[in-house]
Amino acid sequence: MSTETVSGALKRARNGVGVSGSGRAPGGTKKRGKAVKFTGTFLAFALPSVVLLLLLNFYPVIYAGWQSLHFGDLVNAGPFVWFQNYASVLTSAQFWTAALFTLVFTVVGVFGSWAVGLGLALLLRTRIPLNGMWKVLLLLPWVVPTVVSATSWNWLVATPQSPLPVLAHALGFGNVLFLADPTLARVTVCIFKVWISFPFMMMMMSSALASVDTNVYEASRVDGANAWQTFTRITLPMVSRTTYVSWILMTIFCVNDFPTIFLLTAGGPSNATQTLVVQAYSSVFQNNQVGPGVATAFLMTIVLVIVSVVLYRQIQKVNIE
Amino acid sequence: MTQQSGAAFTRRAFIGAAGGIAATTLLAACTRTGGSTGGGNASGGVLKFWNMPWGTPAFLTEDKKIIAGFKKGGFTASYQQIQWANFTTQFATGASSNTGPAVSSGGGTTSVLYAHDGKIQYMDDLINGAWTTNGLKDDFLPGMLDALKTTEGTTGVPYNLDVRPAWYNKKLFTQYGLQIPTTWDEYKTVCATLKTKGIYGFGVGSGAGNNIGFHAITGFMINNGGGWFDSNQKPAADTAANEEALDFVLELVRQGYSDPASSTYTNQNVYTQWQNHKIAYGIDTAGMAANVTGAVSSEVAVADPLTSPSGNKGFLYFPNPMMMWNNTPSKTANQDLITYYYQNMAPLWTQKTGIGLPPLKSIANDPTVSGDPNNQKIIQDWVTPGIFKTWGAPGNSGVFFNVANTVDGTQPTYTFAQQVLTPSNRQTAKQMLTAFQTTLEGLMK
Repeated sequence: MSTETVSGALKRARNGVGVSGSGRAPGGTKKRGKAVKFTGTFLAFALPSVVLLLLLNFYPVIYAGWQSLHFGDLVNAGPFVWFQNYASVLTSAQFWTAALFTLVFTVVGVFGSWAVGLGLALLLRTRIPLNGMWKVLLLLPWVVPTVVSATSWNWLVATPQSPLPVLAHALGFGNVLFLADPTLARVTVCIFKVWISFPFMMMMMSSALASVDTNVYEASRVDGANAWQTFTRITLPMVSRTTYVSWILMTIFCVNDFPTIFLLTAGGPSNATQTLVVQAYSSVFQNNQVGPGVATAFLMTIVLVIVSVVLYRQIQKVNIE
Repeated sequence: MTQQSGAAFTRRAFIGAAGGIAATTLLAACTRTGGSTGGGNASGGVLKFWNMPWGTPAFLTEDKKIIAGFKKGGFTASYQQIQWANFTTQFATGASSNTGPAVSSGGGTTSVLYAHDGKIQYMDDLINGAWTTNGLKDDFLPGMLDALKTTEGTTGVPYNLDVRPAWYNKKLFTQYGLQIPTTWDEYKTVCATLKTKGIYGFGVGSGAGNNIGFHAITGFMINNGGGWFDSNQKPAADTAANEEALDFVLELVRQGYSDPASSTYTNQNVYTQWQNHKIAYGIDTAGMAANVTGAVSSEVAVADPLTSPSGNKGFLYFPNPMMMWNNTPSKTANQDLITYYYQNMAPLWTQKTGIGLPPLKSIANDPTVSGDPNNQKIIQDWVTPGIFKTWGAPGNSGVFFNVANTVDGTQPTYTFAQQVLTPSNRQTAKQMLTAFQTTLEGLMK
């Protein structure tokens, strides 16, 4: 193939024409007809699934939007009230208390589980005995159903005769009420969240660390970098994409985490540990106030989408760099 | 290339996650409105019967057997068990999509809630017709048939009585030379003695899924002639009778007669404390002896009803209903099924399946039921004298639509009970009741 022929072929390729010719080869119309027929068949097969997906995803969202503009119950939508539910939710002190705790719960849940997960992932990279067994054992909090974990933690902390309060008393901390004291209850549910979430972060970070070329570490060592410099200048940047992805996912997990709070404290004592998702549930299913409950869920979703987009852009930045 | 695939992955993850959020957080929206008509009189078919697990697994076996035996006018009945964990959503979905039952049991306010939405077949014709003739009407314990009556009609009939009597530990009372209290003052004295032994005399909880705390507080108000609603079915929390009762409960808490951690106790936590001999007197369901395991099960017994300073006796109960739904192939068949069920449901009690107390005298007087000393005590000293009242007290004998929206398991009731049960809470009874009155008014529809 001459140079002219190659450049011509490349030009044709850029114009979307096959290198083998102009697209007007003998029998081309027949082939195009077959392609159109194939595309049609493909679409016919795909259409039911696409329609089903659209229905499953969009119908509830649109219907929820409609419900959030009404003031009714689970059976009857009730009167149309425009944006009154949103206004009443946004002007309610309880909503902002729940929003603040949701923020705290999410920040602690994301960064706490990430820090523990990354630390353990780094530890498990070293040559420690029974490495495989530790990995499996450390996964247990994530693998075990939340209802079982919550029941176990309740057994650990709920009554003054439970193991942890007994231990705290023996250590001279007095009668520690892990769930009945509002501040301690907040701390307890946050620690519980970190505990059940760190294995996920450990897995994510382990896989990210595994993909880092060890030659980079050797080069840094040769250049005289200490452990902290290696960690902050090499390890963290190298796993940053995975870190951002895991932060997005964990943010979504934390904000939407219903069972952790509901099973451990149900939002109490005195609403101290109430998050927005628990508040939305209570409004709809306990207080029989569907409009305000769905409005809360919508507001939550909007904030979550904004946070996710911001973090997603961070990933794109990392990709560009 | 790596970057591209990475970006594609994260985008997909993001879209998937966003879909997940929408599906999860807006799940509540997955019901639809729609009028329930139904109710023709077909010549035959299958009636859907829904029931919850009211007792041990033996309950399901017996209950299924009863339903399998129904056959009248070409109709039979199918059985579906509804778990308590999601019974609210199951009924809401069934009612709104007209895929619900023809006949079912329900929680204390289920029948009035759905009657308000036009989904319930009223029972007055049946009660005043066939049930008067066949004697079922007269077989109900006193006052039972009025418990679920609204101004529009009788929404359901009591199926089992979920009562809140007082319990005590016989062994501990004997050990410390205590008498069963019969007045509020005697009760306080008992609590004070128990406190010196490191035992709590006011044993309740208000943690996840445990609403006994609020039931107990309401019970003491009813005990003092109070309650949450006036005769116009409007909230009446801020009354002198309620204030005196709440002052009494706050005193029990602040004097250290209740466990300081009890505000977040689940039912199981409370039972554990009974088993640990940390609680010797408290409020619970009729089935508490079966719920505390080990030796304590035989140590606990039902106590006497307390008399308040106002001279009243009384406490809270829930007439859990059996009801007929409009969404049925035949309203006549519904009546046949519920009549058949009430005439044949005795084994649920005589076979000791763990269901609450029976609403019928014939079953309550059966030796297998009345032979249980705790059941006998509740029926004789608490139910028969008519001292139990519903959520509608003091102005109403029964329950009504707004009870479901305000005090029956709503979030503010848990919060209120948790505040009351927190010893460090320094609000006065008056302040708490004034605030709760505002909350109740906000929940009214």
